[in-house]
Amino acid sequence: MGERKVTVAAEVGLHARPAATFVQRAKLAPMDITVTKSHGGDSVNGKSILAIMALDVRQGETVVISADGEGSEEILDELAAIASTP
Amino acid sequence: MGLAAVPDPVFSAGMVGPGTAIDPLRGPGQAVAPIAGKIMKLHPHAYVIVGDDGRGVLVHLGIDTVQLKGEGFRLLAAEGDRVGAGQPVVAWDPAAIEAGGRSPVCPIVALDALSGALTGFAEGAVHVGDELFRWE
Repeated sequence: MGERKVTVAAEVGLHARPAATFVQRAKLAPMDITVTKSHGGDSVNGKSILAIMALDVRQGETVVISADGEGSEEILDELAAIASTP
Repeated sequence: MGLAAVPDPVFSAGMVGPGTAIDPLRGPGQAVAPIAGKIMKLHPHAYVIVGDDGRGVLVHLGIDTVQLKGEGFRLLAAEGDRVGAGQPVVAWDPAAIEAGGRSPVCPIVALDALSGALTGFAEGAVHVGDELFRWE
């Protein structure tokens, strides 16, 4: 299982533009994408804007993004870059 | 007024999801729940209500209003509350938002809906209780 641990840098957290950008990219992936807060809690569907908003990741919090399968490393790199963009 | 006219590409391009937008009356008013359900997320400037069928609708009060950090907004309900459609959730004054140099336009977005899933968009003036769109 591929993973990226990322600290969310945007002032608004993983909401609004960062969340929409993240989900838009995740939806293009052929495999499942999950997002989990690094200190524990539920894994949510990275392709659902509702699930990402519900996860409520604030600026400075760290999440683990997971994906598995062919091409997942590139997708994880892109998603990590989106999540860590200030 | 439709999402395309919202002065924020995140909404106007449908990145958050399909929906519409309301150009609110200027003056003190109350933003209400667009559907019956549970308040899943409540910020002063935005909230998400999730219906019993699991579908969520986002209401965003004005554009770039996260920058106000709650100033000018008063919560009339709490996160986790069950609300009926049309029940007041946040009190605010669109005129004050506009006077502060921000658009008070409110995107109403069907989260995770496919773009073709919404029909029957309202046009022209709407009042509390009017149907904005249908989510099949």
